[in-house]
Amino acid sequence: MLLACIFGVAPVLAGKLVVEIEIRDHLFWPSEVVVPANTKVKLLVYNRDPTSEEFESYELNREKVIMGNQKAVIFIGPLLPGEYPFFGEFYPETAQGKVIVE
Amino acid sequence: MLLNSVIIVLREVLEASLLISILLALSGVLGISRRWIVWSLGFGLIGAIIYSFGVTVISDWFDGVGQEVTSAVMQILIYLLLLALTFLVLQKHGVHQLFDKLTILVMAATVALAFVREGFEILVYIYGFSNELPRFMSILTGAVIGASIGISIGALIYYFVRSLSYWQSLLVGLALLALVAAGMLSQAVLLLIQADWLPSQLPIWDSSGWLSETSVTGQLLYALIGYEATPGALQAAFYFGGLMLLIVVAIATKLRRQRG
Repeated sequence: MLLACIFGVAPVLAGKLVVEIEIRDHLFWPSEVVVPANTKVKLLVYNRDPTSEEFESYELNREKVIMGNQKAVIFIGPLLPGEYPFFGEFYPETAQGKVIVE
Repeated sequence: MLLNSVIIVLREVLEASLLISILLALSGVLGISRRWIVWSLGFGLIGAIIYSFGVTVISDWFDGVGQEVTSAVMQILIYLLLLALTFLVLQKHGVHQLFDKLTILVMAATVALAFVREGFEILVYIYGFSNELPRFMSILTGAVIGASIGISIGALIYYFVRSLSYWQSLLVGLALLALVAAGMLSQAVLLLIQADWLPSQLPIWDSSGWLSETSVTGQLLYALIGYEATPGALQAAFYFGGLMLLIVVAIATKLRRQRG
C-alpha cells in the first residue's frame, strides 16, 4: 500500500501539470486556461467534433493537427507571465482561446 | 471562410512552391532534364494521401507525439538532402553522369518529402468540409486561389534565378536553398520541443512587435528563411549551425574542385 502510494503519487509529483481542453462545435472548452509561470504543462486537447482541427498558436510557437474524435498531446512552457492566444486554424471564426500564465 | 482557406493553403503551398522553383531553376542551370518533377510530385501526393489516412495511428506513437516526431524526421531529412545537393551541384559541371543521376534523385526526394508534409495538411483541411457542399465549394475556391498565389510567387523566384548568369544563378539558387534548409532544421527543433523530446526554453528575442509572424511579410519570410518572431536558443543554434555547415560544405567542395 505504501509502495503503491509512493509509486502512484511520485510520477504525478515529478511529472508535469496536465491541463485538459475540449473542442466542441468548433469552440474551445474552456477557452481560457490559467497555468503557473515557469512550469512545463502538458495540454491534452480532446477534439469531440467529427471534423479535424489544427491547434495553432504563434505566441506559444505550437501547431498540431487533431483529427475528428481524437486527442492530442501538446507540451507548452515554461513560460513568462502573460497571455498567449491560441486558435483552431480550420475554424478560426469560432475556435479561439488563450493560455493565461500567472 | 474563403479568406481563411486562401491563407491556410497559401501558407502550405508557399514552402513547397519555393523549394520546387529553386530546384527546377537549378536543374535548368545545370542542364538537367526537369522531368523528375512529375514523378516526384506523384510520389509526394501518394505519400500525403497515405499520411492523412495514417495520421490517427501515427499521432498515438511515442505517447501521443508521433505527429511531431514524424514531421521533424521529414524536415531533418530534407535538410540532409539539401546538404547533399549543395555538394553535388558544386561538384558537377559535366564531371560524371552519375552526379547528374544522383542530383535528380536528391531533388526528387526533397520535393516528394516536402509535398507529403504540406499536402497532408491541405488534404485533411479540405476533406473536413467534404460533407457540407456549399462550404466545401467555398473552401475549394479559396484553396485554388491560395495555391495559385503560392505557385505564382514560386514562378517569380524561378524566372529571377534563371535570368542570372551561370555562376550568379548557382550562387543565388544555393543561397536560397541554404536558407530554406536552415529553416527546416529550426522547425524540426521546434517540433521536438513541442513533443518534449528537447528542452523548452524562453525566447532569446521577441521581434513580433516589429514583424509579426501573422503578417504577409512574416509568412513569406517564414517560408523562405524560416523566420520566427520568438525563437529559443536551441532553435537559433540549429538554424545558424545548419546554415554554417551548408556554407562550409559549399566552400570546401568548390575549393577542392578548383585544386583538382
